[in-house]
Amino acid sequence: MLVLITILLPIVVGALLWLLPREDRVLSRAIGTLVAGVTFVTTVLANNQGQEWSYRWLSRPFESAFHFGTTPVSYWICLLLALCTMSAIAVTHVPRTRNFTVQMLFLEGAMMGLFLSRDLLTFALFWDLMLLPVFFGLIGWASHPATAWRYFIYNFAGGLTLLLATAAFGVIFGSTDVIGRADVHLAGAWAPWIFAGFCFAFLVKTPVWPLHTWMPLTYSDTPPPMIAVVAAVQSKAGLYGLIAIAVAFMPQYVHQYAPVLMILGAISLIYGALIALVQQDAKRIVAYSSLSHLGLIVIAIASQNQLALEGALVYIIAHGLFSAALFLLLGYVEQREETRSLLRLGGLGRANPKLAGALCIAALAALGLPGLAGFVGEIVILIGVYQTGAVWATIVALVAIVLAAAYVLRLYQDIMNGPEVEDVPVRRDLTWLEGLAVAPLLAALVVLGIQPHALMEAVRVAVH
Amino acid sequence: MSPFTNADWNALVPVAVVAVAALVVLIADLISRTNADRYLSIAIGVIGCAVGAFLAAQQYGHDYNAFFGGFMTGGFTTVFEEIVLLAAAGSLILYGSIGPAPRVAGTTALLLWSACGAMLMAGAANLMTIFLGLELLSLALYCLCGMVDRKTARESALKYLILSSTASGFMLFGMALIFGASGSVMLADFVSPALASNPLFAMGAGMFFVGIAFKLSLVPFHTWTPDVYEGAPLPVTAFMSVATKAATIAVLARFIYAALPSSIGGALLLPIWILAGISMIAGNVGMLAQHDLKRLIAYSGIAQVGYILTALAGGTPLGLRYAIYYLTAYAFMNLGAFAVAAALSTEDEQGSRLVNYRGLGRRRPFLAAAMTFFLLAMAGLPPTAGFLGKILILSTGVSSGFVWLAALLIAGTAISLYAYAKVVRAMYERGEHRTHDAHPFVPLAWASAAICVAVVLVMTFYPLTPSNILPLVK
Repeated sequence: MLVLITILLPIVVGALLWLLPREDRVLSRAIGTLVAGVTFVTTVLANNQGQEWSYRWLSRPFESAFHFGTTPVSYWICLLLALCTMSAIAVTHVPRTRNFTVQMLFLEGAMMGLFLSRDLLTFALFWDLMLLPVFFGLIGWASHPATAWRYFIYNFAGGLTLLLATAAFGVIFGSTDVIGRADVHLAGAWAPWIFAGFCFAFLVKTPVWPLHTWMPLTYSDTPPPMIAVVAAVQSKAGLYGLIAIAVAFMPQYVHQYAPVLMILGAISLIYGALIALVQQDAKRIVAYSSLSHLGLIVIAIASQNQLALEGALVYIIAHGLFSAALFLLLGYVEQREETRSLLRLGGLGRANPKLAGALCIAALAALGLPGLAGFVGEIVILIGVYQTGAVWATIVALVAIVLAAAYVLRLYQDIMNGPEVEDVPVRRDLTWLEGLAVAPLLAALVVLGIQPHALMEAVRVAVH
Repeated sequence: MSPFTNADWNALVPVAVVAVAALVVLIADLISRTNADRYLSIAIGVIGCAVGAFLAAQQYGHDYNAFFGGFMTGGFTTVFEEIVLLAAAGSLILYGSIGPAPRVAGTTALLLWSACGAMLMAGAANLMTIFLGLELLSLALYCLCGMVDRKTARESALKYLILSSTASGFMLFGMALIFGASGSVMLADFVSPALASNPLFAMGAGMFFVGIAFKLSLVPFHTWTPDVYEGAPLPVTAFMSVATKAATIAVLARFIYAALPSSIGGALLLPIWILAGISMIAGNVGMLAQHDLKRLIAYSGIAQVGYILTALAGGTPLGLRYAIYYLTAYAFMNLGAFAVAAALSTEDEQGSRLVNYRGLGRRRPFLAAAMTFFLLAMAGLPPTAGFLGKILILSTGVSSGFVWLAALLIAGTAISLYAYAKVVRAMYERGEHRTHDAHPFVPLAWASAAICVAVVLVMTFYPLTPSNILPLVK
């Protein structure tokens, strides 16, 4: 029951918030933060008690159920999601606060449903459902409507192949209530096509080169707090799918197509890093860095190495934490300076020490500084991939990490250091609320960086 | 003495009730002094539909071959009759919501008779009854299309008359050939293996299918659809888009499941599946360029019929159930969209031009939300019956070996989203909008939109499909 509440609470309250007046800012934000907080608590509790909830949906042509429950992997992603949503709603400074809060809560509920699904069909259902709030967010926010279209069409096309693959899976296996079951292995004439259908959806969502072209536009045009959640958690839906569905049910095909996946991952890794290096738009730098970082995780998953998979899961959480923090902080910067072009920013560090400090921690985590969570993930992935004999991939990853240092430091340098830019409208350090929103993300980065055992232990159980 | 028993006549009672209700409407109109009292006609019509639906429901599960097999009752017939009556009642309610329409009584009566024709088709088990039902349905529709004083409406009626009659001609000719080959008009007699090698039968069936494809507006026989839908009055379009399709699918399904010799069924039907596949793509592509809601729904209907036929393609009992599930869902999605359009129509304009929807999210948030919901349901997004319907159709397509149709369905859906999203975007986009709305509050249209939302939502989680629909095969 608790898992069901975790999913439905944000959706239902989100729908009710719509009854508030459109101009309302204070109340919708307060309720939104409260609900996100309660959801965080129920997420924690749901795992402790090993909660599950199931209700039969279809019996023909294949068995399917609204079956939700936590697994060790999904538990950590759900925590990340709850944390990011809370931070994002608490410090909203976007116009149309009510609509934004509704969208955020709906997004949270849909993604909770996705990660808690034990059934492929409900997985597909929430997969499509989570596109809607971002789509409406983009319609209301984006500078050009094409952004919303591109986001939606790409991801919906992925969702459709996911749907077709799910239908085929259900017909062949007789049931879709399979996520988390160890005894399911799909083989036969259709299996490669089913695998391809799933993979297409997952790789679009992640995104991986060459299916990434919706990503930079979306990341730079979505409201900053929302993109913090999308970049931190929604992109993980694809990786989670690769682990929980592709690797779990069709390991032989992952093995067979590992070179393809690895090459796509490696191209994303280098391509993302190189483009991030030359961008002038702060948010786009982080967007392309995401492409790069997620490419590394794809390589790790494709390697199917025990250690690499553990590293992948740690890095999934770490990337979620630091990219959410980066996007939130860049959002604050943009809000104060009314620009996010590196050419027109500079010298903020002197007047805004707290902002600079927070951005510094997030940036260092992004470049993989030892002691922060990003480093643990990276190093474990590198060792794992190296163990499988894919030395070239390890070398590519190392090159990308060096590039990461370059673009992340450039980002920080150009915004915080250097000569101060004249005629800045507002000069205001982090407010206590903004600080409070980002603090848990940064704290988690530090804690997981120093003490990653809890996470890795859970992951080890899951991967076995 | 009549050779027919009471049970024979009882089988027709639901149809008769609806037909009589139409007469009552006309008489009531004669008696009532105030010509303005249009709600009376509509109320009688809706009550007639409700009673007919209730009586039809009584026949569920009671299989009977009335009139020596001319008209069958039972699960299959009942389900299609209910869909038709739902469409009729829904359209009549919409008639009450759009500005003062002239000649309401006549329109109501014609609509009810048209529904009678569709109900006959639902139960038809021989070629004559099929044709009778089809012509009753169509003749009333020709008139209904032209029932308003507008140039486009007259044009629409004429276009529909000419093209649809041509299709009927094809169908009748096909029936004649089938009769020539088999010596019988009973669908049940066609199963004989001797017919499998008879080229005359194949030719007849082919021409019969041309007629069917026309009525279903499958590509390339679809060209009449957008023009007719656009020109016809809004409630008539709503009725036409659901009832004609339901009735024709009933006939086609009965033909597939009951009449075709199994040895040649696959080969004979292949052209239909190919047309369905083309329709899915062409219908969805056609939607992209539309600037009128009714034309958009016409093209979307072309594609949706392709989806429904995908479920039938395997010829499995489960496929038939899913086709009916999707058809029902489609009925509610369509009626819902038309209800929103009706709430936005005024006396002189029909609320179907997409320009009217610009900024609707700001002016009428709930109507806009309902419209968004229906469009997303048609696109197959969760949590709507469209989503579940698609997955069910996909799974039957895959399991019966028609994977290419399933793949075309996916491709078509991806294209369609672009068109639906265009409307959604128009409703929610920012910019300068009229802040207040000239349209009055129309409780009936709002209520029907709300009911449609609820049904489409509930159908997702309780995917009830009729289980007792296959006795027709026996």
